[in-house]
Amino acid sequence: MSELTQYAILLGLTLGTVGLVLSIYALARAIGRARAEPAKDVPATAGTLARDPVWVRYHAKYYGYALLFLAFDMEMAFMYPWAVVYREEGLVALLDMGVFLAILFLGLLYGWSQGALRRQ
Amino acid sequence: MSIAVIILALAIGCYAVAVLEGWAVHGRLSLTRPATSALALLGREQILPRTSDRLFFEVGPVLLLVAGLLSVAVIPLAPGLIITDLAIGALFLNAALAYVLVALIMAGWGPNGAYGMVGGWRFLGQFIAYAMLIVMPITAVAMRAESLSTTQIVLSQAALWNIAYQPIGFVLFVIAAMGVAWLPPIDLPTGGGDLAGGVEAEYTGARLAVLRLARLVIIVALAGATVTFYLGGWLGPWLPGWVWTALKTLAVAAGMLALGSRLPRLREAKYLELSWKLGITLALANIFLVGVIALVVPI
Amino acid sequence: MMDLSGARQGLLRGFRGLVAGAMARDLRAFVVPGEDVANALGLDLDAAGLIRAVTPRHANVLLIAGPLPTALADAASVVWAQMPRPRCILALGEVDLGPLPSADVTAEMSQAGLISGLEDLRKLIRNGAFAPDIAEFDAPALSEWIEYTCPMHPEVISDEPGKCPKCGMFLVERRVSGAAPHAHEGHEGHEGHEGHEGHEGHEGHEKSSAVSTQAEKAHHQSDAVTSAETSASYVCPMHPEVTSDTPGSCPKCGMNLVPQAEAGEHAHHGHHAHHGHGHHAEPASEPTGPYTCPMHPEVTSDAPGSCPKCGMDLVPQTEPGKHGHGGHGGHKHHKDMPAQEGQGEHAAHGAHEQQDAHGAHHGHAGHGAAPDIPGIEPHFMSMVELTEGKPVSPDGLVMEWIDAPFGPFFPGLPGGLQMVLTLDGDSIAGADIKGMDAAALPSGVALEDFAASLADAVPLSPVAMRELACRAAEAATGQTAPKDVLTARAAAVERERIASHLNWLAGLARQVGLFSLSRKAADLQCDVRTAQADGLAEQEGAINSLLTAARQGSFLRSKLSGIGTLKGALEGPAARAAGHPSDARHGDVVYDELGFEPITQDQGDAMARLRQRCAEIAQSLDLIAEAGAIAMPAVPRAKGDGHGMAALETPRGPATLYLTLKGGMVSSTHLTTPFAALAAHVPDVIKQMELADALTVIGSLDLDPWSATQ
Repeated sequence: MSELTQYAILLGLTLGTVGLVLSIYALARAIGRARAEPAKDVPATAGTLARDPVWVRYHAKYYGYALLFLAFDMEMAFMYPWAVVYREEGLVALLDMGVFLAILFLGLLYGWSQGALRRQ
Repeated sequence: MSIAVIILALAIGCYAVAVLEGWAVHGRLSLTRPATSALALLGREQILPRTSDRLFFEVGPVLLLVAGLLSVAVIPLAPGLIITDLAIGALFLNAALAYVLVALIMAGWGPNGAYGMVGGWRFLGQFIAYAMLIVMPITAVAMRAESLSTTQIVLSQAALWNIAYQPIGFVLFVIAAMGVAWLPPIDLPTGGGDLAGGVEAEYTGARLAVLRLARLVIIVALAGATVTFYLGGWLGPWLPGWVWTALKTLAVAAGMLALGSRLPRLREAKYLELSWKLGITLALANIFLVGVIALVVPI
Repeated sequence: MMDLSGARQGLLRGFRGLVAGAMARDLRAFVVPGEDVANALGLDLDAAGLIRAVTPRHANVLLIAGPLPTALADAASVVWAQMPRPRCILALGEVDLGPLPSADVTAEMSQAGLISGLEDLRKLIRNGAFAPDIAEFDAPALSEWIEYTCPMHPEVISDEPGKCPKCGMFLVERRVSGAAPHAHEGHEGHEGHEGHEGHEGHEGHEKSSAVSTQAEKAHHQSDAVTSAETSASYVCPMHPEVTSDTPGSCPKCGMNLVPQAEAGEHAHHGHHAHHGHGHHAEPASEPTGPYTCPMHPEVTSDAPGSCPKCGMDLVPQTEPGKHGHGGHGGHKHHKDMPAQEGQGEHAAHGAHEQQDAHGAHHGHAGHGAAPDIPGIEPHFMSMVELTEGKPVSPDGLVMEWIDAPFGPFFPGLPGGLQMVLTLDGDSIAGADIKGMDAAALPSGVALEDFAASLADAVPLSPVAMRELACRAAEAATGQTAPKDVLTARAAAVERERIASHLNWLAGLARQVGLFSLSRKAADLQCDVRTAQADGLAEQEGAINSLLTAARQGSFLRSKLSGIGTLKGALEGPAARAAGHPSDARHGDVVYDELGFEPITQDQGDAMARLRQRCAEIAQSLDLIAEAGAIAMPAVPRAKGDGHGMAALETPRGPATLYLTLKGGMVSSTHLTTPFAALAAHVPDVIKQMELADALTVIGSLDLDPWSATQ
């Protein structure tokens, strides 16, 4: 199977999934529509009507981790091709990546010491 | 042909996981409950919250289901029995699972409800905690297999399963997988006692059915991925390969569900702290250990 | 054939019949007032095979366990309205459902009643889930109305627009909802905390969410007054594409539409930029000048479009001086010269001054640093302006806070506890917690009726309340019961303590997601509740193994250790967990005979409270074994007048009852319970905690909202 066929299959799978969902919705729709009633469309909050909108500038207190995550996620993009040829390259690959990971890990330790690894 | 077989197997797997989840959460094993629940959900009203972001609200569950199915596509049931045997299968699985985050944030933000919004953003924190612990153990697996193809990864375990070859990676991956599927005790975006349903709270009727189905698919996908990466996939004596894959996948799913009902919910800050201070250190150590072993031992 | 009160429209045939059959087998109940109350009333929901939904959205059965006070009946009508159809009501016991439709099935308050009720309900759903004609549900609690309030004096509320009698400012409108449109003191809804004072952060934040819209309304009104001749159309501040000829709310986000003229005239106005979550108002229909980029003032264009540098939409330049630059001149300046400003301006700035007062305002240092562009405020769309007046978190970031109700029917908290948490991200910036406004205790009734209604009013510890009434009555009448009766009555209170603590453990386990522990504790609670002394002795092994599991589970311990540490003025188990041996049983003759000594822990955190309650369960088992028999308190007969007081250590701490008898009838009473004192600690102890921890801490306190006021 060529690569292109494989991705065509994956696209077909995606479209098929959307089709499945639409047919489930159609089936549910055949049973009836939701009846509009007072307060029914207000988000449920434990028996209290809360009509205030909640879309706000949300305080994500994990932003320290999030910044470190960016660095690590970039690094992982390099790791995959390295991992595949690792045994071929042998000790050199271990040393190459060892130095890279050591620096990255030192970065993590530095961030840790500066208080990045906590809820801000 | 193999696509139809795998989809059928997936459907059966989802049903079995739904039965297991009923047992873990409600303490009863009922073979018919998932079917009646699904049918009943179809008959309930679908409520669209006012002032909601309709696009996010509708796309959330669908995207979740698509992400789940795409990750199932690269998991081999038996030799040759796989939807797409991509050369970069393991990476593709990773990429597909990244959409779980997007879908949950959309589902949480969409309805404009307090519990959902907090749940969605909490899942972003959860993602930051588990993401590295999915990626790093997979890297170590790929180092041994010299390939990202899931079929190759299974074949590389012929002599010794990865659970014995890199046990640290296995433990980290299973815990991270529970985070991806927001299984208890890492059910931060939906926890009943914390957020009264969280990102699921505003979904009713058929939309809820799709959301629940998507979650089941994701659980099966992650259990399947665990089996592929660590438990030797279809490898095993006496029985045909697909039986082994199915049995191992269900066993992993059951294990994750059983573990969840016995542990109190993890707090987000604690999860992040554990993942980054302990998890990443262990994951890097795992890569290093596997690197040394792979150079010394030829298996 | 009877239809459900919450049937869905449609004929019951074909596929709908199949679906109705499935629904009948898939009952998901939302329990009102809460699972803790249902357990305390002797219902074992798991044993009945009932699955509980954590939100009304996922439920199809509203299970009403026991009588509901008016406020809770209103809240139940909100829950009912938010459940998707088909939905039905199962009421246990004699319940006045208030605004709810009459129950589809009513059964007696017992496990057997629950099981038979569910059976009846299944039949009903199978045959009546769909009906051709259905009645729409509405209730007073669901109504909305507009009222007018002064931005400076929140206590000034009026049904008509006008001026504030205190400061003469124009009143601004706001949308509120609730059951009592004209009784402004008693609003149950989310607006109830509006006028409340005492929490700094809370206050400051109040203004940010409420005032940003209020200030907008103020603009709105000033425009209506000053530029009445310009027949303005209305536009959404968030969605500029939404326009309307009449005032109303935006179909996309529900915000009130503002006159378009305002959007134009005030586009350069610093305050406007942060209304509506940082989105700025888009250009008005009639631009008064060339277009420019809000970020890059050097970019100008004659036509609307986007900035070539940053891609932002260009905004029209307004003529310099048309409205003056008063808006950013600094608030102190405004305080000095409000009379020269238009009333609308004043209203808006008044709101900001309030924020000033709470220290939530900062960032004026940057004024004047940027080059002045004609018609454009120096800091238009700058971060400083955007975040102006928003509350500041401890890490210095300026974010928006939301008020989220967590009650009265929150699955992780005691049923009936009404709490509004102010959330800064997912940490707690403030909490407003209150119990129920329970009906006043009856007066002018016989002692027996008084004791019964006191016990009914507090469903979480009815035996203790009954015993309390008996003791007060004995003190008032001068009678005393024989010693063995007193001992047996004390044993009844101790049995209730065991049941209550187990019920608390079930609730805490449910909150933290320990399903199997929760099930076991609730199950044991139901058995203990009515067991006799020998039955309890048989249960001792099961209870002890449960307690060991709860106490020694290392994951639960690490979750509870070190959070919610309470020291200082406390009573009840929370005090004993912090090392104060305060216990109303200490020094009581009956308990002394049984060899009672208070147990204490010393950490005072949530884990210490868990250990304390586990130890008290074991202690109560010993006390009951020592007493030998259990007897329910019997109320003495009363003649004549008298006055008596009694104190009793209820499962949640000491309760005191003053009782005055006149002619053998109860004429006046006064009850104090530990709720208020304990609840008062909550806002401080959970401040800046993660939401999950805060809820666990509140759960660990075992608040009883039913005994809040009398």
